[in-house]
This record gives sequence, structure tokens and C-alpha cells, in this order.
Amino acid sequence: MTTLSRRTMLLGAAGAAVLAVDTVPARAAAPANGKQAPSIYRYKIGSLECTSVSDGARTFPMPDGFVRNVPKEQALAAAEAAYMPKGMITVPFNPQLINTGSKLVLIDCGIGPGVGPTVGLLMAHLAAAGVDAKSVDMVIMSHLHPDHTNGIKAADGSLAFPNAEIKVPAPDWAFWMSDENAAKAEGNKMMKDYFANVRRVYSDVPADRVTRYEWGQEVAPGITAIGASGHTPGHTAFAVTSGSSRMLIQSDVTNIPELFLRNPDWHVAFDVDPQQAQQTRHKFYDMAAAEKAMVVGFHFAFPALGYVEKDGAGYRLIPTAWNPAI
Amino acid sequence: MTKLTRRSLLAGTAAGTAAAAAGVLPTNAAQPVVGKQAPGFYRYKVGSFEVTVVTDGVNRMKLPDDMVANATRDEVNAALLAAHMEKDVFVGPYNPIVVNTGAKLVQIDTGTGEAAFKSSNGMNGQLMSNLAVAGLDPAAFDAVIISHFHGDHVNGLLKADGSLAFPNAEVLVPANELKYWMDDGEMSRAPKGRQEGLFKNNRRVFSGEVMKRVRTYEWDKEVIGGVTAVGTPGHSFAHTSHVLSSGNAKVFVQADVTHVPFLFARNPGWHAFYDQIPAQAEQTRRKIYDMLVAEKMPVQGFHYPFPAHAYVEKRGNGYQEIAVPWNPAI
Repeated sequence: MTTLSRRTMLLGAAGAAVLAVDTVPARAAAPANGKQAPSIYRYKIGSLECTSVSDGARTFPMPDGFVRNVPKEQALAAAEAAYMPKGMITVPFNPQLINTGSKLVLIDCGIGPGVGPTVGLLMAHLAAAGVDAKSVDMVIMSHLHPDHTNGIKAADGSLAFPNAEIKVPAPDWAFWMSDENAAKAEGNKMMKDYFANVRRVYSDVPADRVTRYEWGQEVAPGITAIGASGHTPGHTAFAVTSGSSRMLIQSDVTNIPELFLRNPDWHVAFDVDPQQAQQTRHKFYDMAAAEKAMVVGFHFAFPALGYVEKDGAGYRLIPTAWNPAI
Repeated sequence: MTKLTRRSLLAGTAAGTAAAAAGVLPTNAAQPVVGKQAPGFYRYKVGSFEVTVVTDGVNRMKLPDDMVANATRDEVNAALLAAHMEKDVFVGPYNPIVVNTGAKLVQIDTGTGEAAFKSSNGMNGQLMSNLAVAGLDPAAFDAVIISHFHGDHVNGLLKADGSLAFPNAEVLVPANELKYWMDDGEMSRAPKGRQEGLFKNNRRVFSGEVMKRVRTYEWDKEVIGGVTAVGTPGHSFAHTSHVLSSGNAKVFVQADVTHVPFLFARNPGWHAFYDQIPAQAEQTRRKIYDMLVAEKMPVQGFHYPFPAHAYVEKRGNGYQEIAVPWNPAI
């Protein structure tokens, strides 16, 4: 028999009962907790308090054509080299909350409820961050793909941020709301679904809640829209500036950096205009590298902050060190 | 006057009247900033083990001239800038971990101690408060495993009032580390300053109630089921790392084989002033990191940025850590 430890001695009668069934007489172990920490991370840009708020992540078998212009084996090899489970890819989703001091602004709002157990976590994470959805003044969309915009609706179809002005990039709105463009997309299932999704989500949003913004505009105090067309026609990045601090929110200039930052000429399946997206990618990262600006990527691993450097023919991401005491 | 926004209209008469009377813009009150970081814990699985990384916080200090014994201040600053860190500032995080093996709940290393929370203005000494938000009761711990006897690893055995931080836990320490620090001859030969201070600190911590709970462990043996001690000497006399092993999964809990990776994994030949026997520490570092690269074994690094869990790759003359991606839903 195993030696009795001090702990089992303390168990007394209950412990003795365990002995009777001839198992190791250790006291009951503390149960595993099984729950992740709320995935929220705060950082400052000058006087602005920003919070990276995860909407979750999906791990799934890499679909055929995920990278359009390289053989699947090559894309799988890149994923495996980045320590993803064999045959799989992981795509995280990271909206950003910015307290400008006068406005509480959310940039992108995730996929929304009811899609799966590992995504649509934005509202729970906002609550964990102490943010009441009613206090969000503005939701700014980078573009109108479902993982960025569907979270504008709660499970019951009402507005998830009931007091927020919804700001959409004018060129993206024009593209997705054009009947002519929708008709042209009939033969392409992915595009057809995207058109249908945008129209469904916004069909019952009162028109006066939605404001279209233009590139070059300051869409909220300190937050300027930067045209980053290609991923979608109106795809937008943002520069966030306060005092002498500046960061770039890249939105989907790349999808996951493990594949598309390392290989900026690879075309992810979701790009509406892959060639233009590739050009945008080079231009954007050459700027970010030259400026040594911190970059936030919607599809970077949480907390999704890092610096971009040129590395061989591509780029690499140096994640920002977590600051436990802001 | 600026046009009324929808929000100010919704704010109703009270806000409208007050704002109008004071002659200010009648927007809704801005949300106050939080000003505090999110809870510093992170969970992941190693086989059936549940690991919770619980940060103790960070030390931020002016870069000491002797930070690296065999590199110049300019070289160290260049490395900091290459890592997109601030020049002339050294930021060293502390990341103890909790392992629930299913049979035992154990803490590996304990941070700078609860007393440091006050003296550092909350920068470190965060372990107790972060354990609480992680739902971990210090009284439920079966054991505390210590890697080596430096203050940022052992001081958290005690609470601010000097009582036991983990009142029901055994304190498991490397046998040769305990022997070294409790040896009066070694103490009498210790250089004045840092090393002498460490002896004094260890004799303060390892006394009374702590000492009653101490049990020693040996290298290459299981400390508890699934946690094996690996001798990684140099950083301290009998500095010890631990391999967590469950099912097919393994993690190398390195303790201080490197201090911060952006200096010492990148430059494994650099000797941090924290290293007691620098040449041996370097030899250990290269051996362990070559093993981690070859086996693609993830490392848990006490002084890595939270959550301090990474893969290691060779890059240039040194090593590059690749953070294991944060999993928002385990």
C-alpha cells in the first residue's frame, strides 16, 4: 500500500471509506476549472484606453482553395510549420474597443451569437471587461464580412448595441448593397452568400442608425479611416492617434499572419480582388515596418497586437509583450 | 451650439437640463477608463493536466549597466530596440504556473510575494490576487514546487503578514539547492552584495512553518506524478526545470534557463547578472534550447511575457520564441 500522506491522515473517516474500496487514499483532488480567462487585454495609445476583446477562434480542417494561388500541400506545410494541428487552421477574431475619453467606440463586432461554441464570445467578453453594451456610442465596421459585422445583432434580432451609431465604409456599403453587383455574383456561392448576409443583417436596421464614412475621415476622435481596398472593395484600416502615439488597425489586410504575412503574395479565398489585396498588403506593411508602428490584426492570435518586420520575401510579426500592469 | 445628437436627446430632461444649465455640450457622460489590466491568468491543457499560468506581474526598471556581464550597454539597448522594447528600460515579467494533474493541485514557483504588491505599487506580487480571480484557493493546493532559491521564485511562499501563502501545501525543493543555500560555509564564502543577500533572504523564507513543510526532491525523478525534475544548473547552484507529461503531451517548464527571451534566448551566449555560474548557465541554455528545437517541445518560461508559453526555433546565432496562440475557449 502507498504510504499515507499528511493530507490523507487529515481526511479522517471519509478517507478511511476510500481505503475500503482499495483505491489510492489521496484526498479528492481539486476539480479542473475548465474555463478560460476572459480574453480581454487593455493597452494605451497616448490617452486612449484600448481593449482587445476576443470574439473567439475557430479551428477547422483547411478547406480546398483556402489559399487560391498555391497548392494545398504548400499551404498545409505553412500551417504545420506554424504549429497548427496537422491538416487544420486556426482563425481568431479580435474586435477592438477604444475609449477615446468622449466616446466608447467598438471597431468590428464579431460573428454574433449562435454560430458555434468557440465564437461569438464578444458580448460575454465585453461584460467581463465591465462594458455595458448600452454604453457603446459607436460601432465602426472595417468591412461588411459576417465575422466583422454580424455581431451588430443580438440573438433575438435586436440591435446588440442599442445606443450606438453604426458606421460603415461608404464604398463597401455601395458595393454590397448594389443589386447589379449582387446579380453578377449569382454564380459564385461564397460571394452570393456574402451579399445575402449583408442584406439580411441590415434589412431591419433603421436607416438613420447607419452612417457611411469616407476614407481619410476622422471617423471618431483620434481614429482615421485608411482605404485598404482589395479584401473587399471598401475594406478599411484605421490609424489611431493620441499625443505622439500611433497604431494601425489593419483589419483584414492579411487573414492569419502565419500564412499571409509570411507569404504576402498568397491569396486567401475570401479576397474579393486578390491582386489589389496583395498590393495593399505590401503597401500597408512597408508603411508599418518603416514607421515601426504597432499593428492590430483582426485575425492575429489574441491579444492581436504586434510589430511587423520585413523578413526575406515576406514579413513576420513580433507580438507585443503582455503588460500585466498598465 | 453643436447639433444635438440622438444620444443627448435620449438622455432625457434631467441630463438635458443639467447640461444646458451648465452650458456644456449635452452628450452622454463618457465611459470612465478602467486603468487596470484584465485578470492575468490563462489556461491550457497538457494531455489531461490543466495548467493555469498566473502572472505575478512585472518588474520595470532602468537598465542596469551590468545587466549582461559580457555585452555592452549599447549591445543590450540594440537588442531591446530590435524587440520593439523601450531603450534603457528593462521589463522582466514573472509567470508562476498552477498544475492540476487530476490527483494533485500544485503551484510551481511563487513570484515576488504578496508584500511586494505594496512595495511595487501593484506592478508585481500579483500572484495571490490573480489566483483568486482564476478561482484557485491557496488552501486547496497540495504542493508548491520550487525551481530555485531566488526571491522572485520563493518569496511568494509567504503572505505579507509572514504567514503561509499555501497553508496546506508541501514545499518541494531541489535537494542540492536547499543544501547549498543552507550551508554556512557556502554563505561565508559568498560574495558581498547580491549573492550574500540571497543567502539571507533564503534563510528568512525557509524557516519556521515553511521549513516544517519542506520535502526535497532529486533530479531525473518525478516530483509528483507527471512532473519530472530536470537538472538545469548554472543560473543557480542547483537550478531545476520540470517536464510536465500527460498522455502524448509534454511541456518544458524551464524556470530561468533563460531570463527574458528577447535578450537571452536571442543571445544564448549572454550572461545575465542573475546567473550564478555564467559559463555553466550558458552551457545548460544551449543544451536545453537545442533539445526544445529538436523535439518541438513547447516551453513555459517564468520570465517570458505572459502567458509565457511558446515554441522555440533556431534563428541566426540564437533562438526565437514563437508564442503558442492564445486559445479563447478551452
